Amino acid sequence: MIERRLIERIEGEAELEFEECEGRVAYATIRFEHMRGMERLLLGREGRDALVLTPRVCGICGHAHLMACVLALEDAYANAGHALTLSPKAQALREATLSLEMIQNHIKWWYLVMSEELYALRGFTPPKESALRGAYGAQIINRAISALAGQWPHNSYMIPGGVTCDPGALELLQAQTALFEATRFVQETLLGMELERFLSALTCKEITGIQSDAGRVEAMLLELGMQEKGRAYDRFAVLGSHGFAAPARLRGTKTYKIDPAQVHTEAAITLRGESMARNALYRGTSYETGPLARALQRGDPLIKNMHRRFRDSTYTRIFARLYECALLLERTAALLRGVVLGEASWIEPPPIERISAEGVGIVEAPRGPLIHRVRLERGIIAAYEIITPTQWNLASAPRERPGPAQKAMEGLHVSEAAFVFRSFDVCSVCTTH
Amino acid sequence: MHSKPKALWLQGLTCNGNSHSFLNHPQLGILMERFELLYHPHLPCTLSLEAVVTCMHECDLLLFEGAFEPTMRRAGVALERLLEHYGACAAQIVAVGSCASFGGVFGSSGGLDAQSQAWSEKIINLSGCPIHPEWLALILSGFAEGSAFALDAQRRPKALYAHLVHHGCTRNEYFEWKVDAKGFGVNEGCLYYDQGCRGVLSHGSCNRILWGGVSSKTRSGQPCFGCTESDFPRRDLFKTRKNMSIPHEVPLGVSKRAYLTLAGIAKTFTIERLSKDLMDD
Repeated sequence: MIERRLIERIEGEAELEFEECEGRVAYATIRFEHMRGMERLLLGREGRDALVLTPRVCGICGHAHLMACVLALEDAYANAGHALTLSPKAQALREATLSLEMIQNHIKWWYLVMSEELYALRGFTPPKESALRGAYGAQIINRAISALAGQWPHNSYMIPGGVTCDPGALELLQAQTALFEATRFVQETLLGMELERFLSALTCKEITGIQSDAGRVEAMLLELGMQEKGRAYDRFAVLGSHGFAAPARLRGTKTYKIDPAQVHTEAAITLRGESMARNALYRGTSYETGPLARALQRGDPLIKNMHRRFRDSTYTRIFARLYECALLLERTAALLRGVVLGEASWIEPPPIERISAEGVGIVEAPRGPLIHRVRLERGIIAAYEIITPTQWNLASAPRERPGPAQKAMEGLHVSEAAFVFRSFDVCSVCTTH
Repeated sequence: MHSKPKALWLQGLTCNGNSHSFLNHPQLGILMERFELLYHPHLPCTLSLEAVVTCMHECDLLLFEGAFEPTMRRAGVALERLLEHYGACAAQIVAVGSCASFGGVFGSSGGLDAQSQAWSEKIINLSGCPIHPEWLALILSGFAEGSAFALDAQRRPKALYAHLVHHGCTRNEYFEWKVDAKGFGVNEGCLYYDQGCRGVLSHGSCNRILWGGVSSKTRSGQPCFGCTESDFPRRDLFKTRKNMSIPHEVPLGVSKRAYLTLAGIAKTFTIERLSKDLMDD
C-alpha cells in the first residue's frame, strides 16, 4: 500500500509517497506537480533581462538567483575575451546582500516551518507569537537588503560590471542599523546568548538547556530522538566560492575536489503520478547540500562536534542552519564595516551585443549550490539552464539509490518522515522552476 | 463582539514573492488581528490546504496570488473549482501581484478578472512584482473598516496607482533638466534616457512608500521595469528604445511635441551643479 502525504508551507507544495513495511517507511518518493518553465521564458531575450526574470524563480531566494545570473553573464564576458574586473566595494555589497537573504531565509525556516512543525509533532500548540517573531526578524534583515539593493524580494541591482547602487554613509548606516537590530533579536530571543559565545562553542553541552527559542527546539528534538534520525549518506557538496564557503566534496568531514562541470541532472521518478522535478547528481551520485555541507566544509567546531556524535542526523542538520545564521550575521557586519564608499560601484563592460559565449554562474544559496548556465549569441539568450540546491537534496530516485531526503526518511514513521523531509528546507518553486 | 472577517490566501502559478513581501510589513501582527486567517502559505492559519480544497468553508475576503491557470491543481483540486467556490462567497477578491492582476511573468491567459464575469466586479488589482506590503495593508484595513476604494480603469486603487513611480524619485531634477545618468552605479543623472527606466510611464507608489521603509529601485540605481503595468515583463529591460536619440515613449499623457519642446529648451542650458558629482565641492 502506498500512503500519500501532502506537504505544504514549503514555498509551494509537494507530495510524499510512502511504501511502508510494519508502519515504517521502506521507500519514499517526492513529487512536485507545478512547473513554470522559467528557462523557456528567457530564450530570445537580451542577456540582462535574465537579471530581472530569474529572481522571480523564487520569492525567498530570488537574490541568490540574481547573483548566479550575473556571475553567469560575467563568465560569458570572460569566455568571449572580455574578463570584467569588479571593485572590492561591488564584490562586498554582493556578498553582503546574498548573505542577508540567507539569514532571513534561515530565520523564517526556523520560526515559520521547523518550530511550528515540531510543536505539532509533539502534540502542542505553538505559541501564538512564534511565527510573528520569525517574520519580525526576517523583516528587519530585508530592510538591510533594501537599503543597499532597493527592495526585497525581486531587485536586480547586480549587473555585469558591478552593482547599480552607490550607497552613501546614510544607506550604509541604515543597513548596519537593521543588521544590528536583527542581531539583537537573534541573540536575545532565538539563541539566548551572544553570537560570539554561540559561535565559539566547542561542544553541544555549551548550548544545551538555554532558555531561548533555540533551547526549546533543542529540547523537543532530543525528546523525539532526532539526533538518531534522519541520517542520509553523510556525503556533501559545496560548489560556490564565498567568504563563507569554498567548493568541496565531503565524505563525513573528509574533503575532496569537486568539478562543477561534472554536475548533471536526470528526471525524477515517483511511485505514482508524474513529477515535474529533476534530480541533480555529481557523476551519477547524489550529495546533500546546504548549511550542514557548508559547516563541515568550513570546519565549524560546534557543528563538527555534533556531527561526530550524531552524524548527519536531523538534529545536526537543523543546528547547522542556526549556526550559519549566527555566523553570517557576524560576517556580514564585518563585510559592511569594510566597504570603502568612494570606490566605483560599476565598471562599464563592453556592450552585451558583442558577447557570443557560454557562461556559468555558481553561488551558494540558502539550500546549497545554485548553478546558472547561459549561452549568449550576440548578447541574446540562446540557452539557459538552472540547477537548484533542492534538486540535490530532494532528488526522487529509484530505490537502489535514493536521494538524500529519501534516504533520510527510510525506517521512520510517516509523521516523523514528513518532519525530517522538512529539515532539508524544502522549496518547491526552486525545485521545478 | 462581531466575528472577524475571514480571509483566505490562495495561490496559482507563483514564485511566492508576494507572500514573502507581505511578511515584511512591520506591523504584521496588529494588521492580521482584524482577520480570521483561514489560509496563508506561511502564516499560522485555521485551515490546512487539504481542508481548503474541500470547498466546505467560506471566506469574506479572497487574496489570490499568482497566475490563474484553470487546470492547475492545489492539493489535487483544480484552481478553477477553487476560484468558483471562494470567488462566489467572497465579498471582495484581491489579485495580489502582477501575475494575478494581469498574467505577469507566469500567466498566459491574462489576469484574474478576465476569467469570469461573475466576479470581475469584486476584484481589486494590486499589481506589482511583487506588491509592497503597505499596499496590501491599505486594502486589508479598508476591507475591515468597510470602506470602498476608487479604482482606475484597470481596477487598481487610485490611492496607490494614481501616482507614477517617477513621483518622489530622487533623480527628478535631472529629469527636468535632461541630464542623463552616465551609466549605472551613480546617484547622479536620470535613468530614463539610456538605462530603460519606466518611472514616468508606470503607475505605482514605489517612491512614495519606500521599500523596507528606506529605498526603491531608482534610488538604488535600477531602472523602473514597469512591473505594475499589464505589459510586464517587457523586453530589453535595461535599455531605452530611441528613435534618432529621442526616447520612443515619452512620459505618460505628455504629447511628443510638448515633451520635445521642453526638452529642447532644457538642453540648451548647462546647469553646472547638475553636471557635477553630488559629493564634489
